[in-house]
Amino acid sequence: MVRAVPVWLRLAGVVFVVLTALVLLAPLIVVVGVSISESQFIAFPPNGLSLRWYEAVLSSDAYLGAGWISLQIAALVTVLATLVGGAAAIAIHRRQLPFSELLATAFLSPLVLPTIIYAIGMLMFWSAAFGTVTPMVLALSHTVIALPYVVRTTLAVLSEADPFLEEAARTMGANRLQRLWLVVVPQCLPGLAAGAFFAFNISFDEAVLSLFLRGPTLTTLPVQIYGQLEFSPDPSVAAVSTIMIALTIALIAIIERMLGLNRFASA
Amino acid sequence: MAKVRLHSIRKSFNKTGVLHGISLEIASGEFVSLLGASGCGKTTLLRIVAGLEGVTQGSVEIDGRDVTDLPPEKRDVAMMFQSYALLPHLSVAENVRFPLRMRRIGNRDEQAEKVRAALETVQLAHLAERKPRQLSGGQQQRVALARAIVSRPKVLLLDEPLSNLDARLREDMQVELIEMHQRLGLTTIFVTHDQEEALSLSDRIVLLNAGHIEQEGTPGQIYGQPATAFASNFIGSANLLPVQIVDGPDGPLARFGDGQDLALARDEPTRGAATVALRQEDLTLAETGSGPTVKVRTRVFLGARNRYVMTLAGQTIRALTGNDVDFADGQEVTLAIDPSRVRVIHE
Amino acid sequence: MINDRTENLLLAVPGILLLALAFFLPIAQMLALSVSGPDGPTLAPFERFLSDPYYLGILWRTVRLSLLITVICAAIGFPLAYIMTKVGPRVRLWLVVMVILPLMTSVVVRTFGWMVLLSRSGLIPELLRDMGLVGRSFALMQTEAAIVIGMVQVLLPFMALSVLGVLTRIDARLEEAARTMGCSFLQTIRTVVLPLALPGIVAGSLLCFTLSASSFVTPSLLGGARIQVLAASIYRSVTATPDWPFAAAQAVILFAGILLLLIPYIRLTGARHG
Repeated sequence: MVRAVPVWLRLAGVVFVVLTALVLLAPLIVVVGVSISESQFIAFPPNGLSLRWYEAVLSSDAYLGAGWISLQIAALVTVLATLVGGAAAIAIHRRQLPFSELLATAFLSPLVLPTIIYAIGMLMFWSAAFGTVTPMVLALSHTVIALPYVVRTTLAVLSEADPFLEEAARTMGANRLQRLWLVVVPQCLPGLAAGAFFAFNISFDEAVLSLFLRGPTLTTLPVQIYGQLEFSPDPSVAAVSTIMIALTIALIAIIERMLGLNRFASA
Repeated sequence: MAKVRLHSIRKSFNKTGVLHGISLEIASGEFVSLLGASGCGKTTLLRIVAGLEGVTQGSVEIDGRDVTDLPPEKRDVAMMFQSYALLPHLSVAENVRFPLRMRRIGNRDEQAEKVRAALETVQLAHLAERKPRQLSGGQQQRVALARAIVSRPKVLLLDEPLSNLDARLREDMQVELIEMHQRLGLTTIFVTHDQEEALSLSDRIVLLNAGHIEQEGTPGQIYGQPATAFASNFIGSANLLPVQIVDGPDGPLARFGDGQDLALARDEPTRGAATVALRQEDLTLAETGSGPTVKVRTRVFLGARNRYVMTLAGQTIRALTGNDVDFADGQEVTLAIDPSRVRVIHE
Repeated sequence: MINDRTENLLLAVPGILLLALAFFLPIAQMLALSVSGPDGPTLAPFERFLSDPYYLGILWRTVRLSLLITVICAAIGFPLAYIMTKVGPRVRLWLVVMVILPLMTSVVVRTFGWMVLLSRSGLIPELLRDMGLVGRSFALMQTEAAIVIGMVQVLLPFMALSVLGVLTRIDARLEEAARTMGCSFLQTIRTVVLPLALPGIVAGSLLCFTLSASSFVTPSLLGGARIQVLAASIYRSVTATPDWPFAAAQAVILFAGILLLLIPYIRLTGARHG
């Protein structure tokens, strides 16, 4: 077979990919490296290896408290986004409502609006309406930005499903509720699951909304880290960050297992 | 008493009429085929009986009860889809059990027994625990069939169930369907575009054309006495030729444009301009003879048979013959056909 | 009895409610706030922004940097996406993971990494110093260059995935056809692949521009207090000198700018999001 690409170009391609990989992953690698450093100062490569910063993080009330809040909010957001987004995706997919197209656009619109604009809007609206900002408000705002992901992954799965399954179920005697629960939802499940994991990840890592909508007792983990970074961070920040990176990697692995990431290569 | 009664069914989608007044009665235990080309409305009619489509006008009765406004889940029907529509997340056995669950037929043990029996009927009992995606197309089709009969519905609806199968599997499945119908005696409505399938499976055929019933009858009637040009053309692949019917010394003759004649049945009443339908398989060709002369244009080799494309009086005419004699391109041969097989079309 | 339409409405209603209350209403509120003053509706906040050279400078910097970031992302993203379509499934999976991983980590974590890399004692300035390219006290932190580098890392995945989405739908045989008609590899790229990939590049560019123009965390941490972008200015208006109408006005200006780009794009392509 005749090779289409000249050799030098192939080599250049490989080098290019390697360099790009470096650019994309360097910061993450650095963070992990700093987290295991011995010294008090942030330096990379680290001089001396130690796990002391992980110990420091795991015994720090501030970090643990912030982590716990992040976890709770992320859990709530996951449940809400999956239920609400999944239901909306089913309604949109069926295309029976007159304004389905509009609905689809509406549900995907939080993706388009820059988070900072949304953050301001939320802050102003809820303060004006209700005074202080509560964890519920933060959770709701996270849900709103996670919603499009759930809708998108669920719609993607639904669009590949056999369109006749519901009709077949009807001819077998299944009523409305039975069709939804026994046929439609099982069909959506991979999409819902992937969406749920995306939602969790988005909420847990979210920084901008959490910065604007914070309160004295409402500090999420990313906000805690941001605060540290503004002043003089010590490597404990790196340790927390590494834990977050590990969490993200785990989530990516799970999503890949459930749905196959190549599917999102055409997102 | 008729099991299924359709009264003047009219159906339009967005102002486009698809069915224009279909009335039909199907007796209990009858196997009826809805036959027609794509777009003739046969699948729409089937879906109306199932309840998946509503009617614009008209009514549907099943077992004496007006079900026109009832949704499918409340009608006692079962439908087999062209794409099988097996629930992918359930096993084969669970798929077959599904209608029993939904319609609350029997307790768990009874259901298990019915499922086992249904799967044995289609010879798939050994694959009961597999998932649909692990089965071949033919196996999936049999599971869909088992699922459709397990609840012994009042009406069994089959939407072109064999069209996705290859020729060999199709033949096998046709035989299985016939045997199953003989054994279970379910009232069945079968949709197909394949006239041979309809002929071989049905007690009665309903030929549909553009939303109308073109002709209704037993396979023998439809094949032997097609009433219209469309029917002739659709069943048995006939040649349609314009002729003048005149009186000859031994009875009426069909005279072609070039003056050649073909003998008709003695009791043929029509005279003057008409159309005759000559079935390809009814024509015989010979090097010499008394019938009209035709010129061979091409021979199409079909294995066990030959199809000859020829010219008669400026018209193209096709014949289906055995493969014992071969005629060359350009050769002139004689056409022969039993006068009683020549159909004169009255329209 | 519930019919089909009602069932679907019931399914969609919780989402619609959520969006109405927690998305559209707050945006509306912000719009209203941007034109509010002590004596009623006024355009004063806007005037203030648009007549002050300091703020205009911030706006200009934001736009300028965003354009630069977008162009760099396109230049790197297109070849990357193309390579991703040409490799085998295993390699492609790893590349997708490599591209998605930065996307899915928290922005504060990524930015922290850059802070370490680009600070005075960081790896990159060290390297440059060792190579004799820069002076002793060279630092990349708190410069516009730092912002660009950090943002490119963040936004490159968006561009790559956007282009990849379009590329995977291009019939591979088109390239082969071009080759059989005499095009060299690079010519094929230029005449066949690039034009067909253009919708993906444009979509990705819009996304990159929007995200970088509205970005807050990375520019603030990497640029420092002296190099402000629009988002940082908004944050300051909200926290330091609580001047909410002014913050809202800036947000509206940002929003308007983005819409200016988006609307003709949507019109032109009839595109649906996502």
